[in-house]
Amino acid sequence: MNAAAGNILEVRDLQTQFNTLDGVVRAVDGVSFDLTRGETLGIVGESGCGKSVTALSILRLIPPETGRITAGSIRFEGEELTTLGEEAMKRLRGHRISMIFQEPMTSLNPVLTVGTQIAENVVRHLDVSWRAARERAREMLDLVRIADARRRLDEYPHQLSGGMRQRVMIAMALSCDPQVLIADEPTTALDVTIQAQILQLMLELKEKTGTAIVLITHDLGVVAETTERVVVMYAGRKVEEAPVEALFAEPLHPYTRGLMRAIPRLDIEADAAGRRPRLQEIPGLVPRLTQPIVGCAFAPRCGFATERCRTAPPPLVDAGSGHTVACWEVDRVRASAL
Amino acid sequence: MTAYIVRRLFATLPVMAVVAIFVFFLIRFAPGDPAAIIAGEDATAEAIAQVRAKLGLDRPFMEQFVIWILQMMQGDLGVSIFSNLPVSRLIVQRLEPTVALTLSTLFVAVALAIPIGVLAAWKARKLVDRLVMGFAVLGFAMPVFVLAYILIYFFAVQWQLLPVQGYRPIAEGLWPFVESLILPSVALGVTYMALIARITRASMLEVLAQDYIRTANAKGLATDRVLLLHALKNAAVPIVTVIGIGIALLISGVVITETVFNIPGLGRLTVDAVLKRDYPVVQGLILVFAAAKVLVNLIIDISYAFLDPRIRY
Repeated sequence: MNAAAGNILEVRDLQTQFNTLDGVVRAVDGVSFDLTRGETLGIVGESGCGKSVTALSILRLIPPETGRITAGSIRFEGEELTTLGEEAMKRLRGHRISMIFQEPMTSLNPVLTVGTQIAENVVRHLDVSWRAARERAREMLDLVRIADARRRLDEYPHQLSGGMRQRVMIAMALSCDPQVLIADEPTTALDVTIQAQILQLMLELKEKTGTAIVLITHDLGVVAETTERVVVMYAGRKVEEAPVEALFAEPLHPYTRGLMRAIPRLDIEADAAGRRPRLQEIPGLVPRLTQPIVGCAFAPRCGFATERCRTAPPPLVDAGSGHTVACWEVDRVRASAL
Repeated sequence: MTAYIVRRLFATLPVMAVVAIFVFFLIRFAPGDPAAIIAGEDATAEAIAQVRAKLGLDRPFMEQFVIWILQMMQGDLGVSIFSNLPVSRLIVQRLEPTVALTLSTLFVAVALAIPIGVLAAWKARKLVDRLVMGFAVLGFAMPVFVLAYILIYFFAVQWQLLPVQGYRPIAEGLWPFVESLILPSVALGVTYMALIARITRASMLEVLAQDYIRTANAKGLATDRVLLLHALKNAAVPIVTVIGIGIALLISGVVITETVFNIPGLGRLTVDAVLKRDYPVVQGLILVFAAAKVLVNLIIDISYAFLDPRIRY
């Protein structure tokens, strides 16, 4: 099968910039990736690496007063989204591409009932009555396993717990059977047991509906458990992409390696005094994005960096079996211990 | 909710009592003597003292106060010391023009201010927004009487579209009634409209930056639904609060507007009574205004619960 035919979403050389008082911020600077039908793709990186902006760019939800997509292409089922009219874009949002956000506490409207907020999405995009949409909303609440769904429809968000609100967000996002669900840190604001439940739920629903998921997170643990392929972003650029097993088996970018060393682990033996080795953080800070970055954006924080890294941006190279990485020193990195 | 309303109604009693005490003493400490005014310019000291005794004004303050309170408890606001008519009847006679003017002003101001405030917030920092806010500053700075005379000059004198002044009771037909209210309502309403428009814009701007608005946009909802349902309903509490505060502003504005447009309402009654030191009438009027204000506050408080489900009493 032709690889491109299976792609539902193709992002090419996306650039999104914001105008701030400090100058132009290149929040996303030439990012490309594909999403195949029914796939779960993870996008990881630290705060400020451009992963959320990438998500908002796909739905064209960047506030026009402050930022805009300056270059690149986003194709959804072959249709170019960067130039699509606003009205057509609105017909797409919540219908064929949905999004859920990090903060379930603030992402639902406090003065409208849960039922109204789910049903309005259905009424907007599918040609049905309010009565039918409400019935659909009840079905969706059942589907995300909220008990006593009929009564919950008439409740307001403040009457629900954080986990329940995120379930409502998921119910809302999936109410029109979208082809793509973009989940921006969907579990970050929740406690750990609820996190696991929500991720499990998303995966189950994906199996049922065939919706492809873009899961944006800073949590490599979440990535390992839920995604099939991973894009690692740093300073607005993609630095590595690989199937999830390959990435965890052999991370090739020094930044990815740094992230992995920063994961707390239970499987490392404690020493005689009961101490475990200290977690290693990545030294230095994320670069300011107001100045154009010459060379590799990670070079100032990288132990492998050479003069070339600081002067020329490394191209993405194929490291075999779907694994690509943007690093000049990839051979030295590969040879070193993790 | 009913229990809350009953509780709130009881809570108004101490407020009204404080107002009553305040009004009674304030007006008696103010310079000016009604007995001297009634007796006339050339009256002797003796004649003035006679009038004073007849009105009961020679008795100690406390005694006058107790008599007045006891009368009031029986629903008797007293008798005007000039016209000898019961205060309650004087007030009822003048009520219609003032209520009509207040309500029409409220309607004109709110019906225009909220849409332009929403529009300004939606088009923030664009030309429309700057025009609206420019108008708001101008409207807020313009004294009611200046605007009133400008309006009269153009609409009544130059173009002769509307009556210059006067008031036609609703009993004389709907159009004459409405016609007589247009200019006074606009003159009185512009300040108020400017105030509400500004608050609407500020409140909407804050709400439009919230996460749930981004969610609404991510659902691809139509712009009017996002603005008028998702945003405005959240922005409503401060707007309603300002509308309530504005009603106090309106009451003071009514006094001037009624004078300029020669409308025989409570405002004019108040001015006349104050100038003549007609104590019972002034006392009665201030109590009526205070009661109106307390009632408005109650309505505003109750409306919060309907606008925001998180507010419960």
